[in-house]
Amino acid sequence: MSTSQDILSNPSARSVRADDAVTPVLEVTDLRVAFEGDARTVTAVDGVSFTVRKGRTLAIVGESGSGKSVTSLAVMRLLPEHSARISGKVNFDGRQLLDETKSAMRSLRGNRLAMIFQEPMTSLNPSYTVGEQINEVILRHRPISKKEATERAIAMLRLVRIPSPETRYHQYPHNLSGGMRQRVMIAMALACDPELLIADEPTTALDVTIQAQVLELMRELQQKTGTAIVLITHDLGVVAEACDDVIVMYAGQVVEQCSVEQLFTFPEHPYTIGLLGSLPRLDEKRESLVAITGAVPDMANPPKGCRFQARCPFRIDKCAEMPDLMEVSPGHFSRCWRAPMEDLVP
Amino acid sequence: MIKPVSSSPPGTPIIEVRGLGKKFVVKRTVFGRPLAQVGAVDDVTFSLMPGETLAVVGESGCGKSTLGRMLIRLIKPSAGEVFIDGHNVTNVSHAVMREQRRHVQLIFQDPYASLNPRMTIAQTIAEPLMLHNIVPAGQRAKRVAELLEMVGLRPEQANRYPHEFSGGQRQRVVIARALASEPKAIICDEAVSALDVSIQAQVLNLLKDLQKRLGLAFVFISHDLGVVKHIADRVAVMYLGKVVEIGTAEMTFSTPRHPYTRALLSAIPVAAPPSQHRSRAARLHGDLPSPIAPPQGCRLHTRCPHARPECQTVSMALDIEPNGHANACAFWRELPAQDADHVREPRNPKLEKLFAAFEAMAARPALTVSES
Ligand SMILES: Nc1ncnc2c1ncn2[C@@H]1O[C@H](COP(=O)(O)OP(=O)(O)OP(=O)(O)O)[C@@H](O)[C@H]1O
Ligand SMILES: Nc1ncnc2c1ncn2[C@@H]1O[C@H](COP(=O)(O)OP(=O)(O)OP(=O)(O)O)[C@@H](O)[C@H]1O
Ligand code: SF4
Ligand code: SF4
Ligand SMILES: [Mg+2]
Ligand SMILES: [Mg+2]
Repeated sequence: MSTSQDILSNPSARSVRADDAVTPVLEVTDLRVAFEGDARTVTAVDGVSFTVRKGRTLAIVGESGSGKSVTSLAVMRLLPEHSARISGKVNFDGRQLLDETKSAMRSLRGNRLAMIFQEPMTSLNPSYTVGEQINEVILRHRPISKKEATERAIAMLRLVRIPSPETRYHQYPHNLSGGMRQRVMIAMALACDPELLIADEPTTALDVTIQAQVLELMRELQQKTGTAIVLITHDLGVVAEACDDVIVMYAGQVVEQCSVEQLFTFPEHPYTIGLLGSLPRLDEKRESLVAITGAVPDMANPPKGCRFQARCPFRIDKCAEMPDLMEVSPGHFSRCWRAPMEDLVP
Repeated sequence: MIKPVSSSPPGTPIIEVRGLGKKFVVKRTVFGRPLAQVGAVDDVTFSLMPGETLAVVGESGCGKSTLGRMLIRLIKPSAGEVFIDGHNVTNVSHAVMREQRRHVQLIFQDPYASLNPRMTIAQTIAEPLMLHNIVPAGQRAKRVAELLEMVGLRPEQANRYPHEFSGGQRQRVVIARALASEPKAIICDEAVSALDVSIQAQVLNLLKDLQKRLGLAFVFISHDLGVVKHIADRVAVMYLGKVVEIGTAEMTFSTPRHPYTRALLSAIPVAAPPSQHRSRAARLHGDLPSPIAPPQGCRLHTRCPHARPECQTVSMALDIEPNGHANACAFWRELPAQDADHVREPRNPKLEKLFAAFEAMAARPALTVSES
């Protein structure tokens, strides 16, 4: 039976070279996604650009509804075609994904491109066992026998720390706990050593100890295979521990972009400041948490100017105009007229 | 004197469970006899008073959701009893249980799976209003709009369908629906874990506020100990189906007794620059044993850093201290003291100033923005 060691030393795994860290695996340029409704058009993603390099992890954080999932679904070409209008460029290893045929996308997905979805129950089929579903993915992309696929599927389940994987293999999704289902999704996504993995809130249902193990596992696999990872999460602890770079989204736009170290040392956008300030902390107990008051703007009819202005305590008259994403210090970008924030706290 | 039928004597817990257990059959012989079972929940006892919040924390698969579902009888317990508002509901009919569910609502872990894709958000939230006849038909639309606003959604989103919402927005719809029936207790199964922190803070503040105003009680199932610390009065820590520690939030966080609780506290990821991270040494290593064949004696012994040979035969009975703090480690009095390092988070003074400036400016009278 194969062990986690076998998986990690899989001969098809690519090794990481020194110059890999600069090779972009995914380059998204000026991505826009609009949903056409009966009476209204919602612009969910509005001019988003970012790059993910080989062996690196990019975090996407941001307000609920800011377009994180839609961005990743657009990259994977999984948005409903009848209602979503997509423009911009998505370059994956030299291929323009927005121009690829449907069948080309189908053979990329699950193989070189993998995605872990936000809600595991909606992407697992309730009428097949979890083992059958992982096997199906492996057999679709790998020329191996059914028996070998089964062995690999069980090894993957063991790798994501599911106890008694041989028994769990034969169970249906509803027989598993929420966190186990999430790990089944992770096992499925990693089964074919993808070059790019987009993980949408992959650990929200996991408790801290398993979360730490799963994140470490993703890191380990990444070091072996050089997989580039996009990790969508609202858990800032996960960003701090598992990611290298980060983009912060607000109302369909990137409002801050920097390294993880920079983000937690000194954020440069008011939304991020509010976000970090509203974290429940273990070393103090407050009556109520600092919340960013107000709600996100209606994306069918966004305000002119800065999209955070109605909720921003640092707002000035100039904010009625839309700021660009500007470099505040080397490698640290912010879409705010008042950056650098240093000037606000003398 | 005439009393309303539903009112129970003061001091009655809104929810009480005694010796609650659940076994699932995971394998059968060809004749249908059980071959292997998962002991998802084993001998759990606690009570929840009106206005109180009990958090249930523990590793994935340790039985938290199963426990939550048994509280409202979505799953029938294999052992023990459940009382709602003083009534034993362990064996009552479905009709009686339906009536009770108005008072005890469950927010499911998977929000999408619990919304009907063919119903608009307004219809979804209006359903309990109608079912339990909470407001007259003419006022339902207004009430739906109020509930949406409470959870930070815009009323004009009411006529859209679940697939048009993001994950966090759907979770808020589910919370609004639970609040619609004006329950006495809500079981929140990871109810805020899909929300980003700023909305999480709004929803937590809202839940606390409702609790104060209406005396709502919560069973709060969560793996996020930061959130638990913020919201819980008491905390129950579970491991492989068993409660291993239970006490006030203050006791559990400042003087954790059980090695498992200590490991959980040290595994919390900290939102600080990577250069300032704590060591990971205190984290629990090794794999979660299978609940199909849990370890004998203390179930943690396969992973416990303090395990000794006797641990394979000890019982997991709770040892209750005079202040009510209880834990299931047979040797807890002999364990080394836990350093308090896990509760201190490094902070940068300049960053603190920035947060303070944000908070101070945000507290000014309403910002006026011309929506052009
Ligand atoms: N199929 C759709 N039709 C119409 N609107 C949609 C559709 N899918 C998403 N939206 C809208 O697009 C916006 C962005 O949604 P998205 O799912 O990307 O948010 P998100 O950033 O992932 O949020 P969360 O953290 O809550 O998951 C939301 O306002 C949502 O209502
Ligand atoms: N319907 C079922 N049939 C068989 N086994 C089940 C069923 N529901 C739950 N189980 C098993 O019971 C155990 C406890 O599951 P439960 O969903 O209560 O865990 P949990 O603590 O909520 O975990 P998570 O944090 O991952 O959501 C698991 O081993 C699970 O596989
Ligand atoms: S541009 Fe103005 S309104 Fe927008 S975030 Fe900066 S200060 Fe606030
Ligand atoms: S009884 Fe033994 S194994 Fe169990 S928690 Fe205590 S020291 Fe650890
Ligand atoms: Mg999302
Ligand atoms: Mg659960």
